[in-house]
Amino acid sequence: MSIDERAQRVRNEMGEMRFDGRVAIVTGAGNGLGRSHALLLASRGCKVVVNDLGGGATGAGKSSSAADKVVEEIKAAGGEAVANYDSVEDGDKIVQTALDNWKRIDIVVNNAGILRDTSFKKLTDEDWDLIYRVHVRGSYKVTKAAWDHMQEAGFGRVIFTASAAGIYGNFGQANYAMAKLGLVGFSNTLAIEGKKKNVLVNTIAPIAGSRLTETILPKNITDALKPEYVSPLVAYLCHESCEETGGLFEVGGGLYTKLRWERTEGKLFKLGREIKPEQIKKSWGVITDFGKSTYPANINESMGPILGNLESKALGGNEFIDVDQALGHEFPPQTSRYDEKDLALYALGVGAGANPLDSGELQYVYENASDFRALPTFGVVPALGVVFEALKRGETAPGMNYGFDRILHGEQYTELKRPLPPSAKLTHKAKIKEIWDKGKGAVVVTAITSFDEDGNELVYNELSTFVRGAGGWGGERGPSAEINVPPNRAPDATVEEKISDAQALLYRLSGDINPLHVDPGFAKAFGFDKPILHGLCTFGYAARHVIKSFSKNDPRFFKSIKVRFSDSVFPGETLVTEMWKEPSATGQSEKIVFRCKVKERDKSVISNAAIELYKEIPKAPEKKKPAAAAAAAAPAGAAPSGEPTSAEAFAVIGDFIGQNGGLASEVGKTFLFKLSGPDSAWIVDLKNGKGSVASGGTSADCILELSDADFCAMVAGKADPMKLWTEKKLKIGGDVMASQKLMFLKKIDPKRAMEVVGKLRAAGGGAGASAPAAAPSGEPTSAEAFAVIGDFIEQNGGLAAEVGKTFLFRLSSPDSAWTVDLKNGKGSVTAGGTSADCILDLSDDDFRAMVAGKADPMKLWTEKKLKIGGDVMASQKLMFLKKIDPKRGAEVVAKLRGASASAQPAASGGGATAKPAAAKASQAPAILKVLAERFAKTPNLATEVGAKVNLVISDKFWHLDLTGPGKITEGQAAADVALTLSDDDLVALAKGESLRELYQHGRVRIDGDTRVAHKINFFKGLV
Amino acid sequence: MARRVNVIGVGMTKFQKPGASDEYNVMAVKAARAALEDAKVDYKDVASAYCGYVYGDSTCGQRSVYELGLTGIPVFNVNNNCSTGSTALMLAAQAIAGGLYECVLALGFEKMEKGALASKFTDRANPLEWQANLMSKVQGFNAAPPAAQMFGGAGREYRWKYGTKRETFAKISSKARKHAANNPYAMFQEQLTVEEVLASPDVFDPLTRYQCCPPTCGAAAAILCSDEFAKKHGISKPVWIAAQEMTTDYESSFKEDSMIKMVGFDMAKACANKVYEKAGLGPKDVQVVELHDCFTANELLTYEALGLCKEGEAEKFIDDGDNTYGGKFVTNPSGGLLSKGHPLGATGLAQCTELVWQLRGTADKRQVPGAKVALQHNLGLGGACVVTMYRAD
Repeated sequence: MSIDERAQRVRNEMGEMRFDGRVAIVTGAGNGLGRSHALLLASRGCKVVVNDLGGGATGAGKSSSAADKVVEEIKAAGGEAVANYDSVEDGDKIVQTALDNWKRIDIVVNNAGILRDTSFKKLTDEDWDLIYRVHVRGSYKVTKAAWDHMQEAGFGRVIFTASAAGIYGNFGQANYAMAKLGLVGFSNTLAIEGKKKNVLVNTIAPIAGSRLTETILPKNITDALKPEYVSPLVAYLCHESCEETGGLFEVGGGLYTKLRWERTEGKLFKLGREIKPEQIKKSWGVITDFGKSTYPANINESMGPILGNLESKALGGNEFIDVDQALGHEFPPQTSRYDEKDLALYALGVGAGANPLDSGELQYVYENASDFRALPTFGVVPALGVVFEALKRGETAPGMNYGFDRILHGEQYTELKRPLPPSAKLTHKAKIKEIWDKGKGAVVVTAITSFDEDGNELVYNELSTFVRGAGGWGGERGPSAEINVPPNRAPDATVEEKISDAQALLYRLSGDINPLHVDPGFAKAFGFDKPILHGLCTFGYAARHVIKSFSKNDPRFFKSIKVRFSDSVFPGETLVTEMWKEPSATGQSEKIVFRCKVKERDKSVISNAAIELYKEIPKAPEKKKPAAAAAAAAPAGAAPSGEPTSAEAFAVIGDFIGQNGGLASEVGKTFLFKLSGPDSAWIVDLKNGKGSVASGGTSADCILELSDADFCAMVAGKADPMKLWTEKKLKIGGDVMASQKLMFLKKIDPKRAMEVVGKLRAAGGGAGASAPAAAPSGEPTSAEAFAVIGDFIEQNGGLAAEVGKTFLFRLSSPDSAWTVDLKNGKGSVTAGGTSADCILDLSDDDFRAMVAGKADPMKLWTEKKLKIGGDVMASQKLMFLKKIDPKRGAEVVAKLRGASASAQPAASGGGATAKPAAAKASQAPAILKVLAERFAKTPNLATEVGAKVNLVISDKFWHLDLTGPGKITEGQAAADVALTLSDDDLVALAKGESLRELYQHGRVRIDGDTRVAHKINFFKGLV
Repeated sequence: MARRVNVIGVGMTKFQKPGASDEYNVMAVKAARAALEDAKVDYKDVASAYCGYVYGDSTCGQRSVYELGLTGIPVFNVNNNCSTGSTALMLAAQAIAGGLYECVLALGFEKMEKGALASKFTDRANPLEWQANLMSKVQGFNAAPPAAQMFGGAGREYRWKYGTKRETFAKISSKARKHAANNPYAMFQEQLTVEEVLASPDVFDPLTRYQCCPPTCGAAAAILCSDEFAKKHGISKPVWIAAQEMTTDYESSFKEDSMIKMVGFDMAKACANKVYEKAGLGPKDVQVVELHDCFTANELLTYEALGLCKEGEAEKFIDDGDNTYGGKFVTNPSGGLLSKGHPLGATGLAQCTELVWQLRGTADKRQVPGAKVALQHNLGLGGACVVTMYRAD
């Protein structure tokens, strides 16, 4: 065998691309690319109409010799071809040539073309029209004539020939570029219209050394760009094995590429507001930024973002404030530090220490005082410092376009989570919380949360600024009810204090260096006779007054302060603070309503104000330490009784996410927990914003399905997720790898978790432990029996080491679960549990009988009253139960009963009880009955399958004879295929799930010929 | 022009269960010594060594070959999942073909743990993440060994498409055991009937326990050299590599929601086609094949990927006995991964060893009559596929 023959053999074995039986038209096939396409197709068995008018490269002249020559070439090589000399504008005649000769047309390669290159300045109407006619109209005419034939035959391949000149433009080819890109749009639409009938349409933009490129490329380059480098792509696109359609390919010189549209993500404006040209200019960088881009492949994808924007509604705004941009803006976190000196300076700034012999004042300014404490209103200083820092750097929220001169500090709310430590490093997170349109002006509320180094929230501030002249866009006015209005009685306390002339000079050193408070000239420019006092300085005075009057001078009880600044104070004036003690809404704190006025002018300067005091001094949270169990390790006395329910567990997770700001950005995934028995769904979102937990939901990156009991056990650290998964108790879908990121659950601090649960229960929503069913008097209950076992284990120290296994007893009627651990430590007995080495299912009655020596476990087992799962051999190690001394057992029971009810061992808590699923009634008979009725009505459903099928549904057998009109009998018989599935999955099939999917997921087993199963689609809709 | 690559020496250890084998370096040295003796070459003449293994800290290769001599040669440690052995072989062959060295050693070894393959580094991106997520999308993630789920899932997809019977898959295991009966290096030599294969515990339908290759410990080695070296050392008519190619995943592995493609069908097909083209020989010229039967489903798919039969016709191919003695080809005369065992790093070189013996006509009771052209297919998820064609003059 020669090398050639051998190579041919290899090619055949590898499946050479053939066109036997196909008929193609190649226009302009007398030379160059067209000739090359025609030769290649013909060499692979295609019959070719070689069309060529025989004109020159510019469309002049006409002769038959070019086409004839190519036909001869094809025939000489053993192929079939006929010549056609019509203009492509007579496309129907060219198609007719194919039909006359071979009665079909499969492939149209629109290749014919001419050039009339000239600069646009010199271009004539004739140049324009002629190029259009040959390229666009010619391609149209040929394709149009062939279209119906290809659609009817259910097969067609069409090629259009475009050009880089059309895609990118080229000097002197305005007419040609117009025509070439016109073909791309033409092709794109035909691709959509032809796809259903397997008529596939593609466009090539070839670079080849042909008569047409001689004019634009140097000779040495055109020589290297052989047409033979283009034709293989044409042949592939025309082959029946190619499924590409609507593509645009640049090809030549050995390079084969595909083009697509790329679109910037662009700028999306909310609808409902005028969009100004200035905004376009401002957004030009974003509009033209290909760093963020998409590749729309069709009109739908193109329209996607626009359709998504239809529902958007602009919140409004004006040249000062763009609410859409600004509202919700989060500033990058900032850090700051303070120490004793900062606290003392602040306290001096708000008038503390005026009497240096008053220990109640000295506590704020003398760092060595035994009771040195921060004045609570200092809490606003670091937060405000962050705002000033940002302003200094020129950082404002997007959409805030107003100067410092327009803003007035309108209201302030400051809340301490616990007393301020003498020094701290804080991290501040600020966000634009609210923007209200007050008509003439606007109110902007900035919320700043400050965290300590452990990540615990320490201070929360809300800064309301009034922006003069910035309102009036017709937006919401916000709350307008008057709050903290003093009651109609004499104040419960009043404090009067003269403010020093130099007070503003001192206060400004704590950070607010606005010259309005220090520079007389500046103050005059703003219309004040002299510099005014900082509003927040008055604020500090008021707080001192309230603490002195209502908190026995102990600032640690301070919770929050809310004020409205109603007018300016001048240094040197006398401040009068009037206070009323009022009932608080929550009962958790005391509320003091107050107002401040300037005595000399009898002018109210702080109004609608209140301070809340804690009833107990809040304690700093303990340093976080990772622990395996969220709820289990809680201290016995303080812990709420009963295990957390799943809802409580999710609340704990939500709290943890709230405490750990960075978690969401670290994990970047969403999780859907689908719990069963009772059913519930929960979304843990660790992708968007700061992360959140919400009940409900249907989709997420990663989906976890498990029982409510297993979930609770998992969160309590009592069940290993990996083990649940291998035991098929936990199913993970979607982004499986994301589930590994849930490891953060292990870091939840159990103490904190119990606090959250305790709080929830205090609020009245908790689920306590359920009491065990009352036992008949005399005989020990199962709970008592387990107490006896626990006592025995305690008495026999070596038992655990000897046995080395864990046992889970799942008792029924009444249901309870108990874990006997003879593996870890000295061994233990606990209520609840979901997994163990060996699992024993039996009734409560049988268990008690067994422990009382009245029932033989072996007999229970053979009678199937006792089921043993997991490590079956381990159950033999339970023989120690027989060694329990009945006397000692009775003593233990008597002791239990003698003690108060609380000494009774708690039965399994709400969450962790594993209830053996009650056997559900099978739905199979009903479904198959409906199926039989369906066969009776529509026998075709069965005959179409034409085979015999055995069904094994949850261990019950049916036989479907589908060779005739469809007969269903119980039992099995000889069959072509057997489907084995559960009752639940039969219901799923009946509800419309696909058999193919169920099979691939392993929920249906198929024995025999799976192809029979392809035709089984008669279950759909039976339920 | 690439130089011809000759395989002048091969050797391997008997493959064994985890716990029953020597330490990895001991196995590696045994295999390498056997190959050197087979080639009648002194270790001093070896100019470079390519050492494949998957499980182990860095430089296990040096730890092994140092026992053969501290000659200061370049040693490369190679890790490419289940195709590690062939990858080491390919690097060695490239060094000869490219004229870098005259004589080199390709060595593969593995000391495996009991149980199914599992990820060792769980604190970083899993290299099989794309595969796992595609599988999860197509058929969920189940409580079965992940590799069995992947290849089993491909088996399901194939069955659904072509109506293949479960028994057909089992027949491959039964055949593998028949072949292994004559291979003293194989781990499992006991015979299994199709019924016994089907009756073994379900791992992941349609795969039962006996349709999954076992965790294995073992080593294998090959000595490669140039024509000049062979001539100088008086080695006449050695077995030579007619063509060798490696492919990695194409888009179809992840974009078509196909388990068959995800486990490397297109990768194997493209790789084989490249080899046939380069060698100028087609599948019909081949008599004996060692292919990557990590699971029966993959042997079945590989028949089609290698072009031993047409796509969709593997069942007929098996039923006609075209995969064993007397048929069109003998696939896995050694017993394959299913019976001989699958020490990841060693497998590619054990396949090479078997084929060299076959082409020399020294395969004893396993000898495929008239074997002149042999084909080797070694595949790793992650992924890489190496196909090698060997010839004897």
